[in-house]
Amino acid sequence: MSLKLLKQGLNGSKSLTPMWREQPIKDRYDVVIIGGGVHGLATAYYLAKNHGITDVAILEKRYIGRGGSGRNTTIVRSNYLTPEGILFYDESLKLYEDLSQDFDFNIMFSQRGHLTLAHTDASLRTMRWRAEVNQLQGVDSRVISPDEIKELVPFMDLSDHPRFPVMGALYHPPGGVVRHDAVVWGYAHGADKRGVHIHQLTEVTGIDVEQNKVVAVQTNRGRIKTGTVVNATAGWCTLIADMAGVKLPVETRPLQAAVSEPLKPFLDTVIVSGTLHFYLSQSDRGEIVTGASVDPYTSYSMDATLGFAEGLAGHILELFPSLGKVRLMRQWAGLCDMTPDYSPIMGFTPVEGFLVDVGWGTYGFKTGPVSGKRMAELIATNRTPDLIAPFKYDRFFEGRLVGEKGAASVGR
Amino acid sequence: MSTKTKDAINPESQIQNPKSKIQNRLSSHPSHKVDYTRPIEFEFNGKKYTAFEGDTVASALWAAGVRVLGRSFKYHRPRGPFALTSGDTNAMVRVGDEPNVRPSMKLVEPGMAVESQNVWPSLNADIMSLTSYGSRFMPVGFYYKAFFRPKALWPTYEKVIRNAAGLGYVTTDTPDTYYDKKYEFADVLVIGGGPAGMSAALSAAKTGARVMLLDENPYLGGHLAYERQSVDTKNGGAKAYELADQLAQQVLAHPNIQVELNTSVFDIGYHLWVGAVKEGWTNTDPDSIQNPKSKIQNPEARLLKIRAKSLVAANGAFEQPLVFENSDLPGVILGSAAQRLMHLYGATPGKRAVVLSANRDGLQVALDLLVAGVQVSVVIELRDQPDSDLVTVLESAGVPVKTDSIVTKAQGNKGVRGVFVSQAAKELPLSPGGIKAIRGTKEFVICDLLVTSVGWTPATGLLYQAKGRMDYDEQRAEFLPAHLPPKVHAAGRVAGAHSVKAELLEGEMAGLNAAADVGFGKGASKKLQNEVAKLKAAEPVRTSALTYIPGGKKSFVSFDEDVSIKDVRDSVAEGYKSMELLKRYSTLSMGPSQGKYENANTMALCAEANNQTIPETGTTTGRPPFTSVPLGALAGRHMEPVKYTPMHDWHIARGATMMNAGLWKRPEYYGDPAAEVVGTRNSLGIIDVGTLGKLRLYGKDVPKLLEMLYTNKWSKLAEGGVRYGVMCNEEGIVSDDGVTANLGGDEWYMTATTGGVTGLYQDIEWNLQSGWDFDVHAVNMTDDYAAMNLTGPNAREVLQPLTDIDLNNEAFPYMAARQGTVAGVPAILMRIGFTGELGYEMHVPAGYGLYLWETLMDAGETFNITPFGVEAQRIMRLEKGHFIVGQDTDALTNPFMAHLDWAVKLDKSDFLGKPSLVRIQKRGVEQKLVGYEMLDSNIVPEEANQIVVPNPDRPIGLETIGRVTSSRYSPTLEKSLGLCWLPVDQSEPGTEFTVRIRGELHQGKVVPIPFYDPDGKRLKS
Ligand SMILES: Cc1cc2nc3c(=O)[nH]c(=O)nc-3n(C[C@H](O)[C@H](O)[C@H](O)COP(=O)(O)OP(=O)(O)OC[C@H]3O[C@@H](n4cnc5c(N)ncnc54)[C@H](O)[C@@H]3O)c2cc1C
Repeated sequence: MSLKLLKQGLNGSKSLTPMWREQPIKDRYDVVIIGGGVHGLATAYYLAKNHGITDVAILEKRYIGRGGSGRNTTIVRSNYLTPEGILFYDESLKLYEDLSQDFDFNIMFSQRGHLTLAHTDASLRTMRWRAEVNQLQGVDSRVISPDEIKELVPFMDLSDHPRFPVMGALYHPPGGVVRHDAVVWGYAHGADKRGVHIHQLTEVTGIDVEQNKVVAVQTNRGRIKTGTVVNATAGWCTLIADMAGVKLPVETRPLQAAVSEPLKPFLDTVIVSGTLHFYLSQSDRGEIVTGASVDPYTSYSMDATLGFAEGLAGHILELFPSLGKVRLMRQWAGLCDMTPDYSPIMGFTPVEGFLVDVGWGTYGFKTGPVSGKRMAELIATNRTPDLIAPFKYDRFFEGRLVGEKGAASVGR
Repeated sequence: MSTKTKDAINPESQIQNPKSKIQNRLSSHPSHKVDYTRPIEFEFNGKKYTAFEGDTVASALWAAGVRVLGRSFKYHRPRGPFALTSGDTNAMVRVGDEPNVRPSMKLVEPGMAVESQNVWPSLNADIMSLTSYGSRFMPVGFYYKAFFRPKALWPTYEKVIRNAAGLGYVTTDTPDTYYDKKYEFADVLVIGGGPAGMSAALSAAKTGARVMLLDENPYLGGHLAYERQSVDTKNGGAKAYELADQLAQQVLAHPNIQVELNTSVFDIGYHLWVGAVKEGWTNTDPDSIQNPKSKIQNPEARLLKIRAKSLVAANGAFEQPLVFENSDLPGVILGSAAQRLMHLYGATPGKRAVVLSANRDGLQVALDLLVAGVQVSVVIELRDQPDSDLVTVLESAGVPVKTDSIVTKAQGNKGVRGVFVSQAAKELPLSPGGIKAIRGTKEFVICDLLVTSVGWTPATGLLYQAKGRMDYDEQRAEFLPAHLPPKVHAAGRVAGAHSVKAELLEGEMAGLNAAADVGFGKGASKKLQNEVAKLKAAEPVRTSALTYIPGGKKSFVSFDEDVSIKDVRDSVAEGYKSMELLKRYSTLSMGPSQGKYENANTMALCAEANNQTIPETGTTTGRPPFTSVPLGALAGRHMEPVKYTPMHDWHIARGATMMNAGLWKRPEYYGDPAAEVVGTRNSLGIIDVGTLGKLRLYGKDVPKLLEMLYTNKWSKLAEGGVRYGVMCNEEGIVSDDGVTANLGGDEWYMTATTGGVTGLYQDIEWNLQSGWDFDVHAVNMTDDYAAMNLTGPNAREVLQPLTDIDLNNEAFPYMAARQGTVAGVPAILMRIGFTGELGYEMHVPAGYGLYLWETLMDAGETFNITPFGVEAQRIMRLEKGHFIVGQDTDALTNPFMAHLDWAVKLDKSDFLGKPSLVRIQKRGVEQKLVGYEMLDSNIVPEEANQIVVPNPDRPIGLETIGRVTSSRYSPTLEKSLGLCWLPVDQSEPGTEFTVRIRGELHQGKVVPIPFYDPDGKRLKS
């Protein structure tokens, strides 16, 4: 038993302290981070931890983890397609492996293996492409046959009965799922402990720019002076960028997800099917956690829809026909900040002091740690670390897109 | 004593018949939904029990004396039903192969096998229940605080945690049964068949509106169905259940009202698009069409998708449990649950009861219990001035009513054996903060049943989904509708009405208003509206949001998740202060009931812990589905569309191996693909290319459209000409390719890739309608035309006799298109060749496809015509060095990289992708798509194998510089060849490279393409 639990068990609630404190809001900070999701919080955490920069405020409109960070389906993996993508995602995965110990808080990173199914020869080819590049980058990833899949996932129908029979899969053993809220709270705790101020119910309403330089942000709780602002607001990022006069090639689309009622463990791996547009895993609580592609329209609505549930259930039963009597328990939606090349936008913008860490689309939970670490490094050193150089804002004006569309779309 | 109360305690037939032969059952009564003449045998945990038709699993087992149905999620505490409603997920069971069944909703059927869940090894001796003893070391969120040191042990811990969690189990052999869906339409949709709902349905129906009334129960009546006291209506008094029957008869008889029972609404979307699920057909259902001879079966469940024009939510309220120590013990039930047991199912709730009451309903239940022959030891009344009429009756029947006391704890092992009662330290009524007991006043009262009636929470979840806003009503201590969107109405308990008269009138008002919303009648009169307002205002109010009795350690706010009062406070102390964070950390309201019986209490406790008021604390977001829905019902018959070409059956008869191509099925090969190649190259072959995208374009501006879509030039393409073109997206990435023919007379014919055509057609339409002001009409003919390619050196000889088109090489040269007839069928012919041989691609109306194909097969017999599939075509196109968009190109490929410089005309005024391509051309490209052959022709790379160079800094000492995109052994050239990406400076013919194939390194070299017939002599001859 952990010492913490023992203490709590013996001393009762008196030993409890808040994970993060409510601090009085100051009228200036060295760094202001907008958005209390995993990206904003991780940036603050590594600023304080790795660079000793602690005069930092997180401004969060509602409560931390209210955005994608508390709504995602928690898939973490690094079997991407491009060498630059793989290096980046793999650093994040490695960071995740140690976060529980870093935080002294169990984020329940469950490296239970990740399967991306191929239902067509074209997708089988893409899986092989990813496996080949992954192997060269030292990432554990290989294409496996339907027989091998059956061993891992006895519930899957691997016959030729489904409309698009499974032809193989990309298997990525270190991939898995994390308890998303724990990551948010862990970063908040670590940042708070090192002096970062976390201000919830604090909405940014404007950004003051003078001579192309950020000087302050406006909030519902007053004006805060600062020379460095980080936009980490994901689905809302264009609204914030507009305040600074920066145009982002981002559109916001809802992404829906759902869980079933809790069941005894029957599924160990994470399953993703691009062709059938769904993915699922089973949480430690026993729920089937499942989702699909982004909604086909732009919107700020976080409402779940019946049509989505119908389509999702149909696709699940195509491959898992024995789950018909399992009940869908809860549906929700989050917002995704989609870029044209399914890769993020990180770092400097044309406005001095206005930094972005956005464009995280459907895949930005897994990158929280590496993004935070590297954004912190960028702020501390005032130069772009190599690892995130491919994701520079300028690439859209130079025609240098990143080729992750194939690996990032439904794959989370 | 008022007549009303006399009536309640001493009606003729209500005293239990002492001669009743059925154990634990009350004598039959018109309010019962069970039929004692129809016994049903079923099993629970392997033991046989008898139920009666109309019983639910919960009522039958209760009547049989079974209190514990399962174990709880975290501490494996014994649990049984406590509410007997759909929201009662306290002890879900397995029925047959269905996990997580709500026993209170499931009707017993003959032979049904019911099992407990989450028990090990058995319900009675559950080892995991020992966790309960360690519960102080398993506080809220304990798993966040442990199990991660040492790191290597976490996977082991996780396994244990996973096995302990979860409720029901699934098996691989559960069949995929039959579910269906139905679309419904209603002028007025009424949710809930209680007094308000039935009244709304009737008043709306009388205006002529088409009404649909849904209820999740197998009967109408709502709370009236399980109540026997007299109630007030505008036409005088009536017994509750009789009123229910009268209203139900009117509703069922009304031609304008469609009633769906066993149907729960779970989703209200935009524009009143409503999802409901109907379950619970039973073998005994008179509606059942389970005729073994008929193929029609009752579905396992049916999804109703309802387009409602207006809506009345009359779906009632949840009776609230009070939180105190061991309030989760089986035998502690809600007042309404006791009434349901007695009055719907004739089940004796217990022998000796204690009643805990904070409203009139509680006293009424105490009376009902007496009437049913249950001994009521004491009524603990939490109000200081309980309804004196009922108190008098109770006291005259010898039941003490204590107004200065509280129940502090239920005692028992697997069921209530008694309760502790103490004097209250504070004066009643209570504040939300609860009251302490006075030390030393504790007293043990023996009982096997504790019934609590402390208040109601409106079931506003659906109204939230409909985008209603609820405000906290301090007087009633309820969140009530404050602002509802247009065409949405609420009536009855969900809207805060509690007297039957108010419910009926509010229902009438809502029904009239909903009908008026959609053009029927004039809506409710001012008088009616005023009367409703007056009645509601005059109703007794709840003096406080009573939530819990302090002091206990095992006082569970959430039964679904075993979250205690202490857990709520600890969570807040740890910083999870807002309802949303509290919910996420403590898992309150995350269980199967989604918090139906815990949200209100959570809110009150959260407010208290934060020193806030309830409105300041606020609610959490109510998320769909309102009640959980089987995946099968949502999926329906989950039909996945499939497209067949007209020649499909022919291919099958010929033994073709079929493959998916988008939604289509295509022959991959009929036999040996290499032989198909040789046959075609040497004489004649034919392939079904009907899956190609096909568009007809009409209008004088078609050339302008083509100029915008394609990167090359089109304005000079003469009538009868065909041209190949490439399309790019705005980023300058190759998105599709194909040929387009000028058929003359402002008619053009375009082909596109199988996968790309739907998107292309949408883009064309989008642009034509929103920006490009062109005189063009585009029609997607993909599914309307059959297409086949007759190809090989003998193609002309075979085809000429069948067609009126002159096939002579001068009259119909390569890259030309002609219209005419083939075998009497109108056809578009294009002389193009993916295969590299003389070839005629023929497009004919789909209905003629098979006929033409068979005719060509017959005609080609003398030349040994070979039907070939996709695989042979892939080989032949590769021998010609043609690339395939999406296989050889990817999300970063621009035309310059794929040797398509010739096809990009940057001097055109505009086209899709031009600005990007201008920039890309300036910058130059880094990679090129080239042809290669392997030095060892026996080595055939897998497509997607990487081209590598040594780099000691990389994990396995290799760095990728390119990749193979297409690879085949060429039967014609007897070489292993293909296409690959390489850096520009290594793309010159003759350059050697290393490719990694299944982990081994092999050599290849760049060669010029086409590999086969480089001058295209065969194609053009
Ligand atoms: C359903 C779903 C499933 C997903 N599944 C996965 C997955 O499996 N794996 C994966 O890697 N990724 C997944 N994602 C994507 C991932 O969740 C996001 O990319 C990631 O959480 C983004 O984190 P963030 O910190 O940048 O932004 P968020 O967590 O969205 O945080 C942004 C914050 O900004 C705040 N904010 C907005 N406007 C203002 C303002 N004006 N002032 C102050 N604060 C403001 C918001 O309240 C919000 O809390 C999924 C997303 C969704 C919606």
